[in-house]
Amino acid sequence: MKGNGLWLGKKYRLRLALLGALLVASQLAWGQPAVATSLPSGTLGAVGSDTMAGLVLRWGEALTARHPEINLQFQAGGSASAPTALIAGTTRLGPMSRPMTATERQQFFDRYGYPPLELRVARDALVVVVHRHNPLEALTRQQVDAIFSTGLACGADHPIKRWDALLEATQWPYGRIALHGRNLASGTHGLFQQQALCSGQFRVDISEHPGSSAVVAAVGESPNAMGYAGFNHLTPMVKALPLADQHGNALAPTESAIQRGEYPLFRDLYLYINLPPGEALPAAEQAFLELIMSPEGQQIVRASGFVPLPPSDLNAQQP
Amino acid sequence: MTPPRLTRVHLPLRQLQDRIATGLITAGGIGVLLAILAIGVFLIWETLPLLALGDTFALSKLSPLAWGTLKAALAAMLFATPIALGAAIYSALFMSARLRSRLKPALELMEAVPGVVVGFIAGLVLAPWVERHLASALLLIVWLPLSAVLAGVLWHLAATRLRQRLPHSWAGLWLIPWLAFMVVVALWLAPWLEHHLLGGDLRRLLDQRYGMDYATRNALIVGIAMGFAVIPSIYALAEDALADIPTTLMEGAQALGASRWQALWKVALPTAGPGIFSAVMIGAGRAVGETMIVLMASGNTALFSASPFEGLRSLSAAIAIELPEATPGGLTYHLLILAALALFIFTFLVNTLAEVVRQRLRRRYHRLGGRQ
Amino acid sequence: MTPLSEQSKRRVNWLNDGLWPWLCAACVALSLLMLAALLTLLATRGLGHFWPATLEEVTLASGDTVIGQPVRETPLPLNAGMERLYFTGNRDITGANWRWINVEDIAEQATPNDLIRLERTPWGDFIGRLVAVESDGQRLTGQAAWEYITTSLALPASQRTSSELLLLTADGQALRQPLSSIRHFQAPNAMSWWQKATAWGQNVWRFLSEGPRAANTGGGVWPAIFGTVLMVILMSVIVTPFGVLAAIYLNEIAHQNRLTHLVRIGVRNLAGVPSIVYGVFGLGVFVYGIGGSIDNWFFSDELPSPTFGTGGLLWASLTLALLTLPVVIVATEEGLARIPDAQREGAVALGATRLEMLTRVVLPMATPAMLTGVILAIARAAGEVAPLMLVGVAKLAPQMPLDGDFPYLHLERKFMHLGYHLFDTAFHGEDVQAAIPLVYATALLLVLIVLVLNLTAIFLRHYLRRQRGNEC
Repeated sequence: MKGNGLWLGKKYRLRLALLGALLVASQLAWGQPAVATSLPSGTLGAVGSDTMAGLVLRWGEALTARHPEINLQFQAGGSASAPTALIAGTTRLGPMSRPMTATERQQFFDRYGYPPLELRVARDALVVVVHRHNPLEALTRQQVDAIFSTGLACGADHPIKRWDALLEATQWPYGRIALHGRNLASGTHGLFQQQALCSGQFRVDISEHPGSSAVVAAVGESPNAMGYAGFNHLTPMVKALPLADQHGNALAPTESAIQRGEYPLFRDLYLYINLPPGEALPAAEQAFLELIMSPEGQQIVRASGFVPLPPSDLNAQQP
Repeated sequence: MTPPRLTRVHLPLRQLQDRIATGLITAGGIGVLLAILAIGVFLIWETLPLLALGDTFALSKLSPLAWGTLKAALAAMLFATPIALGAAIYSALFMSARLRSRLKPALELMEAVPGVVVGFIAGLVLAPWVERHLASALLLIVWLPLSAVLAGVLWHLAATRLRQRLPHSWAGLWLIPWLAFMVVVALWLAPWLEHHLLGGDLRRLLDQRYGMDYATRNALIVGIAMGFAVIPSIYALAEDALADIPTTLMEGAQALGASRWQALWKVALPTAGPGIFSAVMIGAGRAVGETMIVLMASGNTALFSASPFEGLRSLSAAIAIELPEATPGGLTYHLLILAALALFIFTFLVNTLAEVVRQRLRRRYHRLGGRQ
Repeated sequence: MTPLSEQSKRRVNWLNDGLWPWLCAACVALSLLMLAALLTLLATRGLGHFWPATLEEVTLASGDTVIGQPVRETPLPLNAGMERLYFTGNRDITGANWRWINVEDIAEQATPNDLIRLERTPWGDFIGRLVAVESDGQRLTGQAAWEYITTSLALPASQRTSSELLLLTADGQALRQPLSSIRHFQAPNAMSWWQKATAWGQNVWRFLSEGPRAANTGGGVWPAIFGTVLMVILMSVIVTPFGVLAAIYLNEIAHQNRLTHLVRIGVRNLAGVPSIVYGVFGLGVFVYGIGGSIDNWFFSDELPSPTFGTGGLLWASLTLALLTLPVVIVATEEGLARIPDAQREGAVALGATRLEMLTRVVLPMATPAMLTGVILAIARAAGEVAPLMLVGVAKLAPQMPLDGDFPYLHLERKFMHLGYHLFDTAFHGEDVQAAIPLVYATALLLVLIVLVLNLTAIFLRHYLRRQRGNEC
C-alpha cells in the first residue's frame, strides 16, 4: 500500500509539473499575437468571409503550386471579421461576400488616412430551386415574393401557398408548397430578403436550415418543396428556376446570365486590400492578386461553383 | 511493538502541510462548486436587460420555440418511454442473468452514439425515406408490436423442443432476426395496403381530406431520432429501480400464487414506481436539451402546430445556430440567453425532482430490505 | 419434481402471463436492432466509399453515351418508373458532376476495362478514356503510357516532367490534362480483387492522414482528428484535478449536513443540464468576458481584432471541462464512498495526518473510480458538438493549434473537430451529394472513437469491481 501511495504521489507530482508547463506554455502563447504582423516572408494572411472560404483556399493551393515558397493562411470568421482585421493591421487581405459599409470604410480611413483598395473578384447568385422533375418553367419576381413573404412588398395580389396556383393539378399534384431557406444569421437570408422580397418579411413556416447544401438536399428529396440557396450549392437533385424580369423574359441562372448581371439575384464577392496610395504591394500579395485576376484564377472561381467576373470588369481592375 | 517514533521537528511541518493541503482542497472544492453556481448567476444576469423591454416582448419571440421544444420532447418521449420501460421490465425480471450482463453495456453504448451522428442519419437518411414511404413507416409502428405478439403466440403453440431451444429468457436476442424479418414483410406489404385501402398516396389523402401538411423534417422524425438517444438513459435508471426491488417481495407474491406478470403489475411496478417516474423525468430532461438532433432533423420552423407531420424549432437549436452570429449585448443575444436560462431552469427542476424521488425510493428499499 | 411437470407448470404460468412479456422482449430486441442497423449503415456506407467503384458505360436510346459510377436509384415522381444517378465527373466540360438517367432510356450497359478515373485539381474527377501520354514530344500509348503515368505519379508534383495526358470523354470530346495537376489515377474495371483491396487500404489511409481538400468536399480528416484529440486531452488535464478536488472536498472534508446533501444533488443535476447551456456560458463568460478582458490588458494593440476574445482551443477545452466536471465528481465520489471508513480510521490511528491519509490510503484506492470518471468524461466530450459551435470550433483551420512555431501550442487558435466537421460537410458543403460518403466515413470514425472510449470505461469498471470483490 505504501509503495502504491508513493507511486501515486510521484504521478501527482508529474501531473502538477505538466500543469505548470502548460500554464507556462499558455503564458507564452498569450505573449504572441494571433496573426503575427511580421509573418515570415512568403506567408500570406487573409481574414474574412465564410462563404468564400473554399474559393480562397483553392486560390491558396494554386498559389503554392505556382510559387512553392508562398503559403496562404486563411481565417474564415465571416465577412464582418475582415474589416476589423484590416483596420487592426493583422492582415492586408480581407475577402468579403458583401461590400464594406460606410462605417467600416470610415473607420479604415480614420486609422490609415486612405481608403482600402476594393477589388471585385467573383460573382455569386441566389437561386430559387425546386425538385428536379418539377415542370414549373419560370417564376416572376412577384410570384417569388408571394410564395416566400407575408407582406407582399413586391406588389403581388395574394400569397401563393399551393402548387395548383402555379401548375396544373394533374401535372404536379403535391398540395402545399413546402418552403426551405437559410437561418436568420446567414448572409444568404439577408440578401434574399432584401433582393427577392423587396425587404419584406419572410413567412414563418419556412424551414430554416443551417446551411445552403442542407436546403438543396431537402428540396431535392421532396417533390413539393421549393427553396433558395447559393448558386455554388446547386446539385443534380434540384432544378434552378429561371426568374422573369419586368418585360416577362425568363432568365435562367446560367453562368453567362449571372456574369452579364442580367439574372436579378446576384452579388459580387470582394477582396479588400490595405494598400497605401502610390506604394507597390509586397511580392507575395502581388503574386496572389495576379493569380486571382489571371484566367487560371478565374477558372478556380468556376471550379468553386461561383461565376467569374466579366472580362471587361477584370481588365478595368488590373492593379 | 513500539509505536512509530515521531520526531518533534517533523511534526509541525507535517501539520502545516496538512493545514495547507486541507485549505487548498477546501478552496478548490468550493471554487469548483462556485463555478458551477456561476452558470445560473451568469444566465440570470445576462437576461436582466430584457426586463426593461417588458415581459410580453420576450414571450412573443420565445413562445414558438418553447412550444417546439416541448413538442419535440413529447414526441421523443412517446417513442422512447414504452420501448425503454418495456426493455427495463424484461431485462430486470425475465431475462437470463448472462444475457443481462451483456445487454446492459450494449445499451450503454447506444447512449454513447454522438447526437450529431444520430441527427445526420435522421435528417439526411431517415427523413427523406419516411417522406417517400410514409405509409410503410406508419404501418411499422403498428406492425412491430403485433409481430411481437405473434411471436409469443407461435412460441406457445410450438413444440416443446423448439421452446427449449429458444427460451423466453433469451427472447430479447432471438427476436432480433424475427423483427428484422417482419420489418421486411411490412415494407413489402405497405405499398400494396396503401394502394388498396387508401386508394393511392397516403400523403395526398392527408392533404386533400384532412388538410394536413407534411414537412420532410418533422416532429415524427425528431421523435424517432431523439427517442433513440433517450431510450438508454431511461432504460438504465428504470432497470436499476426494478432490479433493486427486494427479491423477497416478488418471491412472496409468486408464492401466494401470482404469475410473474401479476407480481410485476401488482407488486413490482407500484414499489418501483417512483424510480420509473424519475427515469422518465431524466429522459425528458435530456430530450428537452438535446441540440444537434433537433437542429439537423427538425426543419427549424417556428410554428405553433400540433401536427406530428409539421416542423418545429427548439430553443436549443435556435441558440446553436443564431448565437455565434449575434452581437454581444444586442437584443438577439439577450433573448437567446433567456432561452438558455429557460432550458437550464427546466432541466434543473426536472432533474432535481427526479433525484429527490429516487433518493426517497432508495430509502424505501432500504426499509423494505431491513424489515425482512 | 420431474422435469416434465416443471415444464408444464411453467407453460401454465406463461399462459397466465399472457403476451405482455413478449412485447417487453420485443422492446429489447427493437432497441438492439436499431443500434445494429445504425452501426451497419455507418460501417457499410462509410467503408464502402473507399472501395474502387466499377465504372459503367451506358448507351441511351437517344444514342448518347454516358460513362459514370452508378450511385443510387430512386422512383420518379407520380410512379413513372425509376431513375438512376450517375457520378460522371468532368465538371469542366459538362458543367456538372452528376447525371440522372431514366432507367427505361438505357439501351445498353457495359463495363469496359479501359475506362479510367482521374483525381485532378481544381476540377475534381475526370471519367473517360486515356488515349495517349505526350511527354517531350514523345507519344506513348497503351501499356507504355500506363507505366509512364504510374512511375511519374509516384514523384511529388514539382518533380514531374511537363507531360500531358490526352483524354477522351464519353461523348468523344478530347481533353489535354497536364500530369502535374493529377493526384490519382485509376482504371477500376481492370483491377483485380486484390488490387482493389490494396487501393481500398490506401484510400482509408489517405482519409485518415490527409487534410481536407476542395473546401471540405474531398481529402481527409486528419486535422479534425488532431483537433478533437488535442481538445479532449487539454480538457481532461483541466477537469481531472478540479473534479477530484471537488469530490475530495465533498466527501472527505466538508461536514456531512443538509447543505452538502443539497450540493451533491446540485452537482448530479448539472450532468443533466443541456450541453448547449454550457456553450452559452462559455461564450458569455470565457470568450466575451475573460477573453475580452485578456485582450484589453495584454493585446490592446491587436484590437479590434480579437485574440482571446473569440472562440478558441482554450475556451473550448474549458467549456467542455465544465460540462464534464459533474461526471468526474460523481464517479470519484462513488469511489471514495465505497472505501470503508476503517481504512481511514486505521491510517489516522497510526498517526497519519489527513493529507497523508488522503494521498497514501484513500486516493490510491479511489484511483480506478477516478479513471473511469475521466474516461467517461472524455467519451462524452469527444461526441459533443453543440457547445463547441459557440466557443471555437472552425469549419476549416489550416493552422494547426500545435505546430513548429513558437510557442508551439496555440491556445487561442480555432481548431477542427470531427463532430463539427461532420455537421459542416453535411449541411454547408458545396456539393452535398459528393460529400455524403465522406460524412458517413467521418461519422463512423467518430462513433468508433467514442465507442472504444466507452468500452474502455465499461471494461475498466467491470474489471475493477471484480478485483475489489476479491479484496473484500
